[in-house]
Amino acid sequence: MIYLDSAATTMQKPAAVATASAWAISHLASPGRGGHWPAMAAAEKAFACREEAARLFHVKDPERVVFTFNATHGLNIAIKTVAGPGSRVVISGYEHNAVTRPLHALKADIRVARGPLFDQKGVLEAFRRELNRGADLVVCTHVSNVFGFVLPIEDVAALCRVRNVPLIIDASQSAGCVPVDFTGLGAAFIAMPGHKGLYGPQGTGLLLCGVDPTPVLEGGTGSESRKQSMPDFLPDRLEAGTHNIAGIAGLLEGLRFVNNLGVENIAAQEGMLIHHMKKGMFSIPGMNVFCAGDSSVQTGVLSFCAEGRDCEELGEALGGRGVALRAGLHCAPLAHETAGTLETGTLRASVSAFNNVREVDQFLRILGELTAKG
Amino acid sequence: MLYYLIVCRSLTYAQRTAAALERAGITARVLRSPKSISGEGCSHSVKISQRNLPDALRVLQRVGLTPKRVYITAGDGSYQEVAL
Repeated sequence: MIYLDSAATTMQKPAAVATASAWAISHLASPGRGGHWPAMAAAEKAFACREEAARLFHVKDPERVVFTFNATHGLNIAIKTVAGPGSRVVISGYEHNAVTRPLHALKADIRVARGPLFDQKGVLEAFRRELNRGADLVVCTHVSNVFGFVLPIEDVAALCRVRNVPLIIDASQSAGCVPVDFTGLGAAFIAMPGHKGLYGPQGTGLLLCGVDPTPVLEGGTGSESRKQSMPDFLPDRLEAGTHNIAGIAGLLEGLRFVNNLGVENIAAQEGMLIHHMKKGMFSIPGMNVFCAGDSSVQTGVLSFCAEGRDCEELGEALGGRGVALRAGLHCAPLAHETAGTLETGTLRASVSAFNNVREVDQFLRILGELTAKG
Repeated sequence: MLYYLIVCRSLTYAQRTAAALERAGITARVLRSPKSISGEGCSHSVKISQRNLPDALRVLQRVGLTPKRVYITAGDGSYQEVAL
């Protein structure tokens, strides 16, 4: 199989990830739930994971690294901490349903700062316009999950800091793929999954907390057990219930892999593969490829459509030939609306550090065969 | 043997405390706080030897990890809070 769906989940992982998760299942208990060796060893594993994440994302205090089940879980905590009914919330035109659905559920006053695809200046200007009208919160994805478009997050963060507006960043497609500096950005929250660019198992995620959060789950934390309210300190305040320690053990190895390889090197490798892929697609007749003129504003994600072909049917056909990629709206109808692809959807190829040029060439050959006329 | 227990607000805080002390060459171990000193219920403490307390407090002040409470073992197995 040629796996090109890493924007959903990186399926190929460092071997240490599965080894660590399997070991944890049979050797580790619950952090904070006992003084015996399996519990204390689990606690050490969790702490090591927080520290490794803190190093990667420049978080000074590892207590502010909170384990979640996925990015959606983290975004729900972040959004429900800062926003409420009627809150004026400015979002980019590239947000995922993980952002827009909680905002709609809250009945927030959503304002879309819509800028053209791959136009960072246009996006920044749209944010400036909306912020000048007033805002209680900004939620912005760092990288579009549909198009790989890198939004000007440092500049958006600067706009928010000047106006004292809290910023929530969805780093689902950037964590592990491009540098993310929590301290430098000064965000209220940054949410991310563990199973994409961090190469951890599914069911893991991280929430970096710059402000005091409101829990969305209450329950046991292994601390202050006599109190019937959640502890007021992190990470316990947000980590009710038993930890996914097998996932955390795997995530630790994924984070080590990213830290050892270097995010810049991963970004360069993925950028090279996407450049090669789009060049190849240009030579296939009838391809509409969504790519940036300036490659620095696109990550390892490439959306495309084939003239006269339904994207889901072509995705199915590619799957039948051993190519795994994702078609449709990618849970981000807003991004498709912004780019003008809401009715057609797109096919999305996304790479990881484990892909290579040979795989891209094979994919291009199969794509060419499937779309050849007559 | 007499030893001190630095009571921490959370397990993660205890781990940070122990890590900071270990980095400074002070042996430190995280353990569940004895019930009699655990305050609001379950908590974690960092155990250090009696001779290391002054150095430990200096290290923790330097790195900004203020101890919540510190106890010393008494000969009869009970704990006495230490005024900091």
